Amino acid sequence: GAMAPGKKITARIKRTLPVKGPQAPTLSELMRWYCLNTNTHGCRRIVVSRGRLRRFIWILLTLSAVGLILWQCAELLLNYYSASVSVTVQFQKLPFPAVTICNINPYKYSSMKDYLSELDKETKKALETFYGFSEGKSKVRRSVNEWNSTGNDFFKQIPLLKFEDFSKTATDLHSGQKRKIEGSVFHKDSSIVNSGDSNDIGFQLCDANNSSDCALYTFSSGVNAIQEWYKLHYMNIMAQIPLETKEKLSYSADDLLLTCFFDGLSCDKRHFTRFHHPLHGNCYTFNSGENGTILSTSTGGSEYGLQVVLYIDEADYNPFLVTSTGAKIIVHDQNEYPFIEDIGTEIETAAATSIGMHFTRSRKLSKPYSDCTETGADIPVENLYNKSYSLQICLHSCFQKAMVDSCGCAQYAQPLPAGAEYCNYKKNPNWMYCYYRLHEKFVKEQLGCQQICKDACSFKEWALTTSIAQWPSTVSEDWMLRVLSWDKGQKINKKLNKTDLANLMVFYKDLNERFISENPANTLVILLSNFGGQLGLWMSCSVVCVIEIVEVFFIDSLSIVMRRQWQKAKKWWNDRKRDRSGKPPQAGDLERQGHDNPVCIDEDLPTFNTALRLPLPQDNPLPRTPPPNYSTLRLETAFTEQLPDTLEVGQH
Amino acid sequence: MNLKKYFIRALHRLQKGPGYTYKELLVWYCDNTNTHGPKRIIKEGPKKKLIWFFLTLLFASLVFWQWGILINTYLSYNVTSSLSIGFKTMKFPAVTVCNANPFKYSKVKHLLKELDRLIEAALERILQPAPWNSSENASPPLDLELWHQIPLVLIDEHDKNNPIILDIFERNQTCVDNQTFVGNETAAGNETAAGTEMACSHQGSDNCTYRNFTSAAQAVTEWYILQSTSILSKVPLQERIRMGYQAEDMILACLYGAEPCNYKNFTQIYHPDHGNCYIFNWGMDEEALNSSNPGAEFGLKLILDISQQDYIPYLSSAAGARLMLHQQKSFPFLKDQGIYAMAGTETSIGVLVDELERMGYPYSDCTMNGSDVPVKNLYSQYNTSYSIQACLRSCFQNHMIETCGCGHYMFPLPEGVNYCNNEDNPGWAYCYSSLRSSITHRQICIDSCKETCNDTQYKMTISMADWPSEASEDWIFHILSYERDMSTNVTLDRNGIIKLNIYFQEYNYRTISESAATTIVWLLSSLGGQFGFWMGGSVLCLIEFGEIIIDSLWITIINVISWCKGLKQKRAQAQYPDAPPTVSELVEAHTNLGFQHEDVSALPRDEALPPEPGTPPPNYDSLRVQPLDILSPDSDAD
Repeated sequence: GAMAPGKKITARIKRTLPVKGPQAPTLSELMRWYCLNTNTHGCRRIVVSRGRLRRFIWILLTLSAVGLILWQCAELLLNYYSASVSVTVQFQKLPFPAVTICNINPYKYSSMKDYLSELDKETKKALETFYGFSEGKSKVRRSVNEWNSTGNDFFKQIPLLKFEDFSKTATDLHSGQKRKIEGSVFHKDSSIVNSGDSNDIGFQLCDANNSSDCALYTFSSGVNAIQEWYKLHYMNIMAQIPLETKEKLSYSADDLLLTCFFDGLSCDKRHFTRFHHPLHGNCYTFNSGENGTILSTSTGGSEYGLQVVLYIDEADYNPFLVTSTGAKIIVHDQNEYPFIEDIGTEIETAAATSIGMHFTRSRKLSKPYSDCTETGADIPVENLYNKSYSLQICLHSCFQKAMVDSCGCAQYAQPLPAGAEYCNYKKNPNWMYCYYRLHEKFVKEQLGCQQICKDACSFKEWALTTSIAQWPSTVSEDWMLRVLSWDKGQKINKKLNKTDLANLMVFYKDLNERFISENPANTLVILLSNFGGQLGLWMSCSVVCVIEIVEVFFIDSLSIVMRRQWQKAKKWWNDRKRDRSGKPPQAGDLERQGHDNPVCIDEDLPTFNTALRLPLPQDNPLPRTPPPNYSTLRLETAFTEQLPDTLEVGQH
Repeated sequence: MNLKKYFIRALHRLQKGPGYTYKELLVWYCDNTNTHGPKRIIKEGPKKKLIWFFLTLLFASLVFWQWGILINTYLSYNVTSSLSIGFKTMKFPAVTVCNANPFKYSKVKHLLKELDRLIEAALERILQPAPWNSSENASPPLDLELWHQIPLVLIDEHDKNNPIILDIFERNQTCVDNQTFVGNETAAGNETAAGTEMACSHQGSDNCTYRNFTSAAQAVTEWYILQSTSILSKVPLQERIRMGYQAEDMILACLYGAEPCNYKNFTQIYHPDHGNCYIFNWGMDEEALNSSNPGAEFGLKLILDISQQDYIPYLSSAAGARLMLHQQKSFPFLKDQGIYAMAGTETSIGVLVDELERMGYPYSDCTMNGSDVPVKNLYSQYNTSYSIQACLRSCFQNHMIETCGCGHYMFPLPEGVNYCNNEDNPGWAYCYSSLRSSITHRQICIDSCKETCNDTQYKMTISMADWPSEASEDWIFHILSYERDMSTNVTLDRNGIIKLNIYFQEYNYRTISESAATTIVWLLSSLGGQFGFWMGGSVLCLIEFGEIIIDSLWITIINVISWCKGLKQKRAQAQYPDAPPTVSELVEAHTNLGFQHEDVSALPRDEALPPEPGTPPPNYDSLRVQPLDILSPDSDAD
C-alpha cells in the first residue's frame, strides 16, 4: 500500500470515472436514444410518431425549424453592427466658440506696392489692350510709358490667349500673333467642353521640359480669366516673401478692430490671437483658447455675445485680387483649423450683421460600425496643420504632400511640410503646369486622397442664422461716425466713412446643446437574448442542446464508428488467427446493456411518487426464480436494507 | 371537515418524518425539471455527470450575470430617437414684427430732451482735443444733478499705476485709489485713453465700480441706455404704448396666401426693448392658421414701414425691423431668437419646423408645462406658455427684486413692485450691474430652470434682394403713401420700407421624437431569451425551482422536529444507564438458568451462507401493499 499520493488519486479517478465510451452499441441506437432523450422538441416527435407520413411530416417540420433558426440567427449576426441614433438636448452653460475674423483683402495695397507694382502695371496694360478701356488716364499713360522699360515677364511666362475657331487657333493678346493650339483644353468655367464661343479667353500652361505638352485653360469671361491669371502670379510673388514680412504687410489688430464687447463687458485686442492665413492675410481669432482659458456664456441673446465693429479700409484694397468688400468670419472650435476660404461667412460693410448660433455636437461610432477616425492617428497622411484632425485638413495635407512629391515644391495656400518650400518661378519653372495637372487629378479623385481620408468621428457644429440690419441708422450715423473716428484715435485723421465699417454680433440663440450620438443598437447580451428567443421559439432549444448535439453527433457517433471498426479489425484478426474455429461470438448479445438494456428503458418519466415507490413489477419474466426463502429472519434483513421507509413504519 | 383532515394528515406526516431525503429530492428535481442542464447531470456516467454539473453551474451563473446587465439597461431608461422629414399641413408659425427702435423720437423728445442735450455736450467734450481746461462755452446750463449718480468718466491709462480719471461733466481730475475696475486694463502698452462709463453706488463713495470700455461709442450707448431706462420706467404703460409705433403706421400691406389681411389681424404686445410689437397668428383668441402648401405664394407677405427718420439717435444705432417666428401662445424673446430685416430690401424667409419631442421623467429631465419648476413665471401674465427663456428672465427679475428692491425695466413685474428709477432707487444701476455680472446668480437660474420637453425651432433660410427696384420705386412709393396718409406726395423712402416673405419650404418639418428603448416587454423577452439560450428555461422552471426550495424547507422542518423528538427520547432513556433488555435476553433470563452468555459468532451469519447475488426480495404483494396504502395519500399533499 505504499503508493504515491498522486498515483493514488489517479487510480481513484480511474476507478470512479472509468473510460468506457458511449453506451449505445450502434449509430441507429444512439440516434434513437438521442431523439428520445434530447431537450429539443422536434426530435422526440419523429421517433415517437407512428406511421410513415406522420414521421415524414415531423422530419420536415424539424428540418424547416432548423433552417429557420439558422436563417434568423444569420440575420441577427449581420445586423449586429448597426447603430441607433440618440438626440439629447441639454440646457447648460456653453463654451463660446472661437470666432476668426479676417478682412477679405489680405494685405494693405499701399504697402504691397513694392512687390506688386510690376504685375499690376502689366495687368492694367493688358486690360487696356484687350478691352480698350483705361481706368484713369494718367495712370495708364504712365504704365504705357513704363511698359517698354519693364519688359513683359509675366506675359512671357503665361500668355493670355483669345481662342477662336472652336479652340483650334488662338491670338496671343499681348503680341497679337496667331498660333495653333495643341494639347488638351480645360474649361475652368464649365465642365461641359462646348467651345462654341469665340469669345473664350484663357491661358496655356506648358511643361517646361517638354514644350509640346501643354494644357489650355479657357474661361467664358475675361473677368475670371484675368483674376485667375493674376492670382497665379500673385501667389508666385507671395511665395517668396517670408512670413514675418507678410504679417507686417497685413492688417494689425488695431487696424481691424474698432470696438469689442463680450458678455456685457468690454474687450480689446488682447482677447484676439493673430493667425496668418496665406490667402486672407492676418486674421484674428477671438477666444482662441491660447492662454488656456475658454470663455463661456451662461445667457443667450445678442447682448451677451460678441459684438465688434470692424474697420474695413476699402480704399486700400487690391483691385485685381479681391473684388468684394467686407470681412469674412468663421465660427469654429478652439481645436479646429479655420478654413476660412472654404466655409467662411461674408460680412457686409455699412451694416450690422447679427449671427445667432445654435450648437450641435455629433458623435459617430468608429469601427466596426462606421468608417470614421477618432483622432486621425490611423490615417497615413501627415497632419500639416497644428490642429486636431478633420477631413478638410487631411485632404489639404494629402494634396500638399502629393504636390511636394511630384512638383518638388509646396502650394502656397497650404502649410509647408518639413523640408519643403513654396513654389516660385525662379526655382521651379514648371510648377504651375504641374500644379494644375495635379489639381485636376485631385478633383477627379485620381490621387487617392478621398479614399485615404476619413471623416472624423466627433464634430461640433454651430448652425448660424445670419440677418442684416442697416447700420448706422440715418439719424445716429453722424455721432456714431464721429465717436468711432475718435476711438480710432490719432492714427487716422480722416473721418470714417460708413462703408469702411462693419458691425458684427455673434451670440447664442439659446443655450441648448443638441448632442446627436450613435450608440450600438445591439450589445452582446441582447444578441444572445435574441438567439435564445429564436432557438426557443422554433425548437425549444438552448446551448445545452447545442452541446448535446456536439456530444452525440461528434463525440459519441465517432467513437461508435471507431469501436465498430476496431471490433471488425479485431474479428478479422481473430478469424485469420484461428480460421478453423467455428462461428464467432455474437457481439450483439454481449453488448446488450446501457441504453439498450430493456431493464433500463423507462417509458414513463419517473414522477415523485414512483421515485419513492419500489420498482414496479415488470412485464418481462424475472431472470431467475428466487431461491426458496427458508430463513424468515434473512427475509426481514433484506427488507430493511432496501426499504428503510417501510421498516420504520413497521417499527412504529 | 377538509381542514381537519388536512391537519391530521400534516400531523401524521410530522410524526412520520420526511418521506425522502435531500438527495432524493435533488435527483427527482434534476430528472423532472424543464431546464435542460440538470437532466443531463443524472442521466449519464460519472465523467459526464461531472462535466454536466459544471456546465450547468456555468450556464446558470451566465444567465444571472446577463440578467443583471439587462435589468440595469432597463433601469437606465434609454430612449431611441426616430426622425421624420417631410411636408404636411402645419400651423403657420406666429410672426412677431417690431421696429428696432422702441419709440418715435418725436413723441419721446420731451422726456429725453435734457438727456440728449447732456450727451451732445459730453460728445463734444470727448471729441475736442483738449477741452478740459478751456472755458465752458456750452450755451444752456445743464442740470447735472440727475446724472451725477452715474457719471461718464474718461480714464487715461498712460501711467498704469496712476490712472487719471476725468469726469466729463465736471472739470476736476481724480486719482483712483480704492475703486475696482470691472474690466481690468492691466496690459502694458495701452496708450489710448478709453472713454469710460462709471457706475457708482449711492451708499458710499468708496463702494464704486467702474465699467470701462475701450470704445467711447460703446460707453456712450451703454450710459444712454441706463439713463433712458430710468426715465422711461416712470412712464405708465399706456403712455409708452402710445409713444411707440402704431400698427396702422407700421404694417402697410399684408397678404396671407391668397387672402388679404391687414394690421387688425395682428395682436399688439408691448416689448421693453422694441416698443410695440405686432404678432400675426398668435392663436390667442382665434384658431391658428394652417398652411398646406410650400412656397412663397402660400406664405405671409408683409410690407413694413420703420420710418427711420424718427429713430432715437443714441438708443439704437442699427436700423431695421426685428422679427421672430415662434410657436403659438409663446412669448417672443426677440433679443435671443429675433432676426433683422434691412430697410430697402425684400427679405425672404423659408421656414423649416424643427421639432424635438422628448419623453418626460424618468427618461430625461425636462418639463411638460413648467408647473414643476421652482421659479415663478412672470410671463404668465401675458397668458403665454412656459419656455426656458421666460424662466431665466423671471428668475433674474426675482433676484433683482430681492437684492435691489425694484424690478428691471426689461422684464415684467410681479404684483406690488415698481420698476427701478434713479430717483426712487438711487443705487439700482450699481446693484443691477453687479447682479448681471454675477456668475453665481446666473448659475442658480440655469440650475433651477428646465427646458421644455417639446422643443420647436424654426430653421430659417434667409435671402435678400433690393426692393423696390429702381424702375418700380416710384409707383410703389406713391401707392403706399396714398394708402397710409391719403396724400398724393411720397411720404416714404427707401430707408424705411421693408418687404417680408415668410413661407414653408418644400420640406417643412423635421421631427425628432423619442420613444423608450427598453420597455417591460423588451425586458421580459430579453430575460426569456437569455434563460432560453443558455438553459432552455422559462418562468415555469423558476416556479419549479421555487417548489424545490419549499420542499427542502419542509424536509428541514421535519428533520428538525424529528431531531428534537429524538433528543427528548434520549433524555428520557438517559434515566436508565444501560440499554433496555431485549426480548431474547428476557427470555434467556428465564430459560438460561446458568446465566451463560451465548456466543454470538456461533450463529450462522452471511459468510457462512452461500452468496445469493442479484436475488431480489420476494414479490409478495401482501407484504408491500399495506404500508404503501398508508403512505400514498400523504405524498399527494406535496
